[in-house]
Amino acid sequence: MLFTIISVLALAGTFLGLSLHRFWTTREEARSNIIYAEVFKKYLAWLSLRTIKMSRKASPRAWWEHLKALPLWRLPDLEKWLYVVFYGSFLYLAASGFFFAVFIPRGLFGYPLIGHVTAGGLFAGCLTLIVVFKGRNFISVPKPASLSLALLDPRKMGITAARVKIAAFWLFAAAGFLLTLSALLPMMPLLRTAGQNLMFEFHRYSALLAVMAAMVFVGLELFESGQRLS
Amino acid sequence: MSRAERAAVGTLGVVLAAVFVAAANVSAPSAAQDPKRPDWDGNRTTPAHLIPLRDENDELIVPTETGPLPYSARFTCGPCHDYERVRGGWHFAAMTAVKSVRAGEPWLQVHPKTGTVLPLSGRGWPGTYDPKAVGLTAWDFTLLFGRHMAGGGPAEPSDEEVLAHPEARWNVSGKAEVNCLACHNRSGRQDHGEWAKQVLRENLRWAATAAGGVGEVGGMASRLKGTWDVYDGPNLDDHEWAVVPFVKYRTADFDSKHRYFFDLDHKPADDRCLACHSVSPKDEDQWNADADVHSTAGLKCADCHRNDLGHGMVRGYEGEAAETGNRTAASFTCRGCHLGENASGKKTVLPGRLGAPRPKHSGIPLAHFKRLSCPVCHSGPMPREGFTRVRTSRANRLAIYGVATWSTDAPAVIEPVYKKDERRRIGPHRLVWPAFWAKRTGGEIVPILPAIVEAAAGDILKPEAKIAQTLIALDQVLAEDEIPVLVSGKSVFAPNVDGGIDAAESPGAKADGQVFWGVRKGADILPLVPDFDPAAADKDPAVETRFQEFLQALGTVDGAPGPPVIVVRKTLYRLVDGVLETSEAHGEWAGAAGPGWLAAGKLLPLAPEFDLRTVAAKAGAEQTLTEEQVALVLGALAKTSKDAEFVYISGGRLFRLDERGKLAAKKDPAAGPVTWPLAHDVRPAQQSLGRNGCTDCHSAGSGFFFAQLKASGPLLTNRLEKRSASSFMGLGGLFQHVFGLSFIARPVFKVALAVCALVIGALVFLAGLVALGRLAGFFEKR
Repeated sequence: MLFTIISVLALAGTFLGLSLHRFWTTREEARSNIIYAEVFKKYLAWLSLRTIKMSRKASPRAWWEHLKALPLWRLPDLEKWLYVVFYGSFLYLAASGFFFAVFIPRGLFGYPLIGHVTAGGLFAGCLTLIVVFKGRNFISVPKPASLSLALLDPRKMGITAARVKIAAFWLFAAAGFLLTLSALLPMMPLLRTAGQNLMFEFHRYSALLAVMAAMVFVGLELFESGQRLS
Repeated sequence: MSRAERAAVGTLGVVLAAVFVAAANVSAPSAAQDPKRPDWDGNRTTPAHLIPLRDENDELIVPTETGPLPYSARFTCGPCHDYERVRGGWHFAAMTAVKSVRAGEPWLQVHPKTGTVLPLSGRGWPGTYDPKAVGLTAWDFTLLFGRHMAGGGPAEPSDEEVLAHPEARWNVSGKAEVNCLACHNRSGRQDHGEWAKQVLRENLRWAATAAGGVGEVGGMASRLKGTWDVYDGPNLDDHEWAVVPFVKYRTADFDSKHRYFFDLDHKPADDRCLACHSVSPKDEDQWNADADVHSTAGLKCADCHRNDLGHGMVRGYEGEAAETGNRTAASFTCRGCHLGENASGKKTVLPGRLGAPRPKHSGIPLAHFKRLSCPVCHSGPMPREGFTRVRTSRANRLAIYGVATWSTDAPAVIEPVYKKDERRRIGPHRLVWPAFWAKRTGGEIVPILPAIVEAAAGDILKPEAKIAQTLIALDQVLAEDEIPVLVSGKSVFAPNVDGGIDAAESPGAKADGQVFWGVRKGADILPLVPDFDPAAADKDPAVETRFQEFLQALGTVDGAPGPPVIVVRKTLYRLVDGVLETSEAHGEWAGAAGPGWLAAGKLLPLAPEFDLRTVAAKAGAEQTLTEEQVALVLGALAKTSKDAEFVYISGGRLFRLDERGKLAAKKDPAAGPVTWPLAHDVRPAQQSLGRNGCTDCHSAGSGFFFAQLKASGPLLTNRLEKRSASSFMGLGGLFQHVFGLSFIARPVFKVALAVCALVIGALVFLAGLVALGRLAGFFEKR
């Protein structure tokens, strides 16, 4: 139950954060008032309106068109299939894992469990390749920090969307590492029941972290590509 | 003495009497009458029990007196231990106890002749029938199962029960009170077999005295007339057969005040428990059988299965504490003792009682602890070779020794069958397939008692009887080294000491060989009637002498359809006024050489074709009925009642006569197996399931999931229920196959995951280092 509550709160917070970022960076009304309460009201109005608009546009066909328009399909074959398997396995892992964790008291079992384990192997393999071959594109090089009170001012920390995206990538990679480790260790004759319990919880929260990082990464990526197109 | 003085003395007397009575009440209260007196004063020793024996009339027993009665636990033990409270315990309430959620071993009424294995329980466990509902009275129940009961309960019925069933013989046998010694006697004289024999002799009130070695009991109440009463004394007319039960006390164990020394254990020794609770593989040698690991470690059964004076033993299953309200029970489950967890898995119990070690369970996924009970991996036989047939004390009548063999192979009890228990967790169970005749009205199945079936079936269920009678009759006129036999196909039937027949395989014989009556001498079997020419001048004169003996012997067979005759070629031999006469045989009989019965001008075989066919079919088999017999008995039962359908259940199938009168079989819930959980014997940790890895269970050919269980029963048939182990668990066999196959690739999978984790971890760590180095100004550029 605790995991369900934390998951719902964390995922909702991530979603709201991303939408607030979008609102803040694209809407005139975000800067039309200096009172946060007023800005927040406008944000809610914008979010509601946008949700209604998107739900009206949403249809299987629209989703299919959106999927077909992804730049993924224009990549070289090897890279394309690497990403297809990676995204596909991650989506299945997240969907099966969270669905059973939240809605099924018994947890993951049966054929979905076999699928989960298989997808986990594919995901770990793909993530390894991506980190090895694409990780270099996400090396952040911040300037050296100086010891001053400015370190505590978020506005002077140099937080940009690009840097958040990079951080999300590595956070995702770190969560992937923890997921792999927490899946592997319980299969070895090393951990006792308490250790198994710890790994089980570790696996769940690593998965939550991975999903949040993925949301941030994909959210910012889609936002950026949308901006570029417009 | 004046009137005033006399009045004063009288008053003084009354006052003194009142003071004495009051003083007696204050200084020596009866423990049983004082509810405030604790069961235990805190001392950890067992007090010496040198106490006066009292009989069922609460009279002191003086062992040297003539015709003393047996001791009564109610009046001997009762003064210190509240008898009524003890009587409410699990062991003494077989027919009356309240329903317990966790099923236990049912009482199995086994009656080979009628092919009955009827599970009975007064506790409403699934698949069992209430003894009262099937027509068993407390008397019937006591005679059937008293051999493995500890007295009390049905063996000690209320006066109402006694009056309600005047056909029972309680006034002759007396009641079998709670037998305290059955469990608490430390003496090696305690003899469970003696108890069983006394119960079978209907010496119920004497059974505890005899079994406990307190005295020697003779006589048999079962041979006495129903009008006999214990106050009638000995039967002066019969010192051989209908001898009245009597007891000769072991006077050496009495002191001069007629107090008897009971050598008692507060916590019963394991032997006492195992007399009724032993379970062993059917064909295991005793020297090779291992004890439960707890026993080996020095624990007694009663260390965990403990109880207060109410004798509601801790059974040790999860959920018992909540079910019974006995919070201590939570400490004596596997989880409670070894992990300190309650039934919900919460650590609310103090672990390690009796020095229980904490298990490591390294590498075992958590799902196993949620979905399996501890005994799955730790108790019972290993499931690698499939199922194990065991014998239990109560089902197979173990622990009764004597000249006769009391133990039986039937019923077939199978373990371990893994199935979900009342807590929806998989646990090992014992299983038995029920077999019984029943009346079906609407959807309700009501078992019929064997006696009723026997009465309706007549000779159908006694195919061996006539053959045995014939062989026994012939045996009387044969030499000592000769045994009369019936040869049928590959089987040779010979009479046994119980008046029945034993089957043996005839070496070199063909299955479709001829049926003939013969004589076994050493290893050779010769025909009873040799082929010779009766008209020949040089025939052996001894042959005809022998024929005369045979015919005389056959003449003693009860219920024969006619006089015995022997046909040899065209000659008929028969006795006329005790003299052997020959005549020409009827032309039709010429081919039927051998002995037979002459009835209504026809030559009948010594045993009917049906009997021969039936015994030949069952020869060497454990089954006691053929399909033909079942069909015939169903037909016979149908004649007894027109308003109900009669069925027979065996081997997981329900048999009935279809519209054409043929025997039809189908699945039916009533034919399903009866199971009850097992928890012992617990194996050592190194013999746990899974000790060798996941593939102990998770492999394509795993016995745990894929062993096939073929139902068994008294009926010789191919129409049997077959089930896989996984079906009992409620799990899909295909999934378990797929899951098991995945373990072939699992080592590679683990290596691949380890490599991935190592690479990703290293790069994430490196990226973190780079970012940290740049932030700290260690690197100026990429």
